[in-house]
This record gives sequence, C-alpha cells and structure tokens, in this order.
Amino acid sequence: MRTNASAACPGLVLGRVLAAGALAVAAALTIDGMMHVAAAQSPFGGVRPPATEHTGGLIGWLLAKQSEFYREMSSTIRAAKSDGSAVWGLLAISFAYGIFHAAGPGHGKAVISSYLVANQETARRGIALSFVSALLQSLVAVALVATGAWLLNVTANTMCGAERVIAIASYALIAAFGARLVWTKGASFIRALQARTEGHELALASGPAFHDHAGHDHDHHDHGAHGHVHHAHAHADHAHNHDHAHAHVHDAHCGHSHGPLPDELAGPGGWQRGLGAIFSVGLRPCSGAIIVLVFALAQGLFWAGIAATFMMGLGTAITVATIAVLAVSARGIASRLSGARDGGGALVMRGIEFAAAGLVLLFGVGLLTGYLFAEPLTCLKPIL
Amino acid sequence: MRPRLIGALLLACFSVLGAGIAHAHPHVWVTSVSELIYAPDGSLTGVRHAWTFDDMFSSYAIQGIESKTKGAYTHEELAPLAQTNVESLKEFAYFTFARADGKKGKFQEPVDYFLEYKDGLLVLHFTLPLKTPIKTTELSLEIFDPTFFVDFQLAKTDPIRLVGAPAGCTFDYQRPKDGAAGAQAMGEDNFLAGGNANYGAMFANKITVKCP
Repeated sequence: MRTNASAACPGLVLGRVLAAGALAVAAALTIDGMMHVAAAQSPFGGVRPPATEHTGGLIGWLLAKQSEFYREMSSTIRAAKSDGSAVWGLLAISFAYGIFHAAGPGHGKAVISSYLVANQETARRGIALSFVSALLQSLVAVALVATGAWLLNVTANTMCGAERVIAIASYALIAAFGARLVWTKGASFIRALQARTEGHELALASGPAFHDHAGHDHDHHDHGAHGHVHHAHAHADHAHNHDHAHAHVHDAHCGHSHGPLPDELAGPGGWQRGLGAIFSVGLRPCSGAIIVLVFALAQGLFWAGIAATFMMGLGTAITVATIAVLAVSARGIASRLSGARDGGGALVMRGIEFAAAGLVLLFGVGLLTGYLFAEPLTCLKPIL
Repeated sequence: MRPRLIGALLLACFSVLGAGIAHAHPHVWVTSVSELIYAPDGSLTGVRHAWTFDDMFSSYAIQGIESKTKGAYTHEELAPLAQTNVESLKEFAYFTFARADGKKGKFQEPVDYFLEYKDGLLVLHFTLPLKTPIKTTELSLEIFDPTFFVDFQLAKTDPIRLVGAPAGCTFDYQRPKDGAAGAQAMGEDNFLAGGNANYGAMFANKITVKCP
C-alpha cells in the first residue's frame, strides 16, 4: 500500500509528509533522551512558513505536527469527493499522523516495550507484536464504525458506549496481563535473590541455577537443587580447581542467557505468549481513527476513511516497533554490562524484568482507574 | 554502576514511561465567541458562549441523529445532543475559568442552551450564570481545556463582547501561542514531571476586563 502511494503520487504533499514522517521516526528515537535538541528543528525550516515553529522544542513540534496532519485529513477527505487523486494525499497524511501520534503519549508502546523487557523477548518479536497489534487496532476501529454508523446508524453517543466497553476491557486485560507478569517475574527475582545469597557460599551453584531459570522456570527448583548438591561435591573434592571452574561456568552462563531466546520463539507456544500483549494493546481503537471514519462515511467516502485508518495503523506500528526495538536493545546492553560484573548481573536483570512487569500492571491499573489521564476512558467525554 | 549501564537503563525506562505524559493531542477544535453579560448595577452576571466545533467532530457528533430534512437539523432535533453536551461539560467546569480579586468565580449550571447546525458545523450556544455576580475593577476569564483534548481558539473577529457593561469598561484578550512555541515556553521539564493537570494552560485564551 505504501509502495503504491509513493509510486502513484509524486505530489508535494506526499513528499513533504513522507520526509517529515521519516524524520519523525528519528525524533521518536531521541524524544525521551534528548528533550532539548533544538537542532532537530532546522531540517524542517522549509516545511511550514510560520516562524514561531522554529522556536519549539521537539515535543512542541511533534504536537504541532500531529495536530496539523489530523486537521488536514478533513480537508483532504473533502477534496477527494471531487478529485479522486486527493486520496493519495490523504493516505500520506494518515501515515504521517500515525507515526506522530504513536510517538506521543499512548499506552500501546509502553505496554509492548515493558512486556518485551520483562519477558526477555527479541527485537524481531517486538516488531511483529507492534505490527499485529496496530493492525488489530485498525480492524477494531473499522468494525466499530462499519457496524455502528454504517449498518445500524446509531448515534455517536451509542458508539461512545461501545468504545467505552472496549476500552475498559482492554485496560482490564493490560492489568491482568501485568499481574501475571509480576507474579512470574517476582518469583524469578526472589529466586535470583536467594541464589545470590547462596551463591556467595557456593559460587559454582549460581551459574547453573540462573541458566536453568532463564529457560525453564518450572524445572528450576529440581534442577537447581540437583546441581547444587552435585557441584557442592565437586567443589569439596577439587578445591584446587575452584577458581578455574568458576570462571568457566560463569562464561557459559553469559552465553546461554542470550542463546536460547530465538529458539524459544520458533516453538509452537510462541505466538500464544504474545497474544496477551496484542489484544491488550490492539483492542482499543484510536478515537481519532473513529472520528475520521465517521466523517468519511458522512462524506460518502467510507472506503477512503478505511484506507486512511490502515495507513494510520501502519504509521503507528512503525513508531511503536522503533521504540520496542529501542527497549529491547537497552535491555541487551544492560544485560551485557551487568553480565560482565561478577555474580550480581543476573540479579540486576531479574530486577529489571520484575520492574518492567510492574510497569505493565501499573499501566493497566492506572488506565482502568482513570488515574493516568493519558487517554480519557470515554471517547470524547468532555463533550459527548 | 557504570555510566553506560545507567544510561541504558534510563533509556529503557523513559521509552516506556513516555506514556505517562498527558493526552497531548487535541481531537476536538472549538472556535469560541463569548459575551460577558452585565447587570444594570455594573456587576458581571454570567458568560454566554457560542462554540463552533470543527467539521470532523461535528460530523461525528451528528451521526445517527434523525432529521426531517436531509442535511439540515432543527434546534429541537439537536436538543438531546445539546443536553448531553452541557451535562458532559459540567465535569470540566465548562472549560471556563473566571477570577477576580484573587478569587475564583463559580458558575451555575448552564441555561438557554441549544445546538445550531450551520454549513456542516455544530455551534453550541449556552449561558453560564455566575453563582454570585462579580463587581470588580479587574477580572480575568480563561477558556481552555487543561488536558488539551479540546483545542479552544478565539474567533478571528470579535471573539469577545461586553453586554450591558458600565461605560469605561475595556477588555483585552490574549490568544494562546502557537502550539510549538507554547510547549517551549512552558518548559519541557514540566512536561516530563507529568504536569498533566496544567498542561493545557499554555493553550489558554485569557480575557481581561478592566472597569473604572
């Protein structure tokens, strides 16, 4: 779809939007770490005439851009009524809006990133999760408007009701998902803590214990206990080799903690594990998409609204995937750095995973109770 | 711990915590025209708003409402929607904040409210009576959404009118700065601190009335 768009429309809007969109991905990467990068403004000097734009920070610029794209959607949909080629502009704007919108506040990227960090997932899996959840989000928005507005012709108020139910279900799912992660990761963290204290007395035990735990949580106790006794003997028998043995086991542990992950992915249970993340993030449609769809329907161009929704989803997926990859890489760096340190590395990693699991739970509870005003619980509550 | 490790961890945290920031993107645009209504004794008794919604929101809000004439809606046909509007706005203090002599002016529930459908746009008319009329030399009125879900803009021409005000009263108004400039002015530190509640304040429309 994106390739078609680029090929068929060499227009100004498209070029402008795609250029801005590409840079937005870069912006998303730096947004949290480099809040004060005023230099990022200069490439867009020619984008928009008002001089005031140049003084804005990165966030201000992001906000201004997404507002601008959102508002342009209505004029391009109107234009598409008389001039079919305006649809390409609409698609480009929707795509850019998706990128910018996801770069701003939103629970999607937070939940996916936390989940990836907590569950030791790969970047590839993060990208897949981002795209599938964004696709689901678009599908839900289209299904909601197609059923509510097109088939049943219910009022906006009624659709709001449906949206509210979906939102609550989605937030509850995040909370439940987070609770499960906290439960398992909390257990791992406590085990790592115990292993660490034991490990001080019997350094050899810590290696195998962590290795087992990373791969197969359920087997941990048996294996750990077994290995523990065994190594204790070895240690007692060959006191001279202690230092050597220790170093070897430790290296093995470092290799193993990264090794098994891609294999796990390929396993039959791989997709099911991600379903929780996909549904909790993708269930709730974006209010913006629903408004655009209803507007397009009212203009007699529902199909254009649907196309725009999927382009928004594609843009959103790209940003969320970028942030997900960033989170996974950060975890990887942390893992490598902490692994280089003696003993405590695994404990640090279990701690990070536990904290990330806690974040998912916090987001769920926060969204559910309305404490996080990141997204109002009702679609357009202030007015409808 | 090493600086690099700390940096990596911070990066991970921030990328995740990005969602903690306010809902920073408006979904509804309102063009506001407001009348300040004075009693014969020179006190402000209330504010009458005429808020025009943007075309996308107007289409959305009108969805599913039956009308006798296609594409045209009477005040009566829109009455239930107007009712919903003013009821919903209550929780948000009607996005109207009056202040005089260091005290907040409190508004009663709206009266004389109705919706008008004009050129594909919805216009919400409503009057907010003050609980106690304010008689003062200097008064400020702000119109904005603290969460910035609704973007309020004063109409280009004559956004403010004083109705029945004593002779010699003057007013002035300040439009919010451009979004980007405003965000900069507020400072990104506030943004990071999660100052949700006041985030929209930088997009406030501030009206000041001075009377002799």
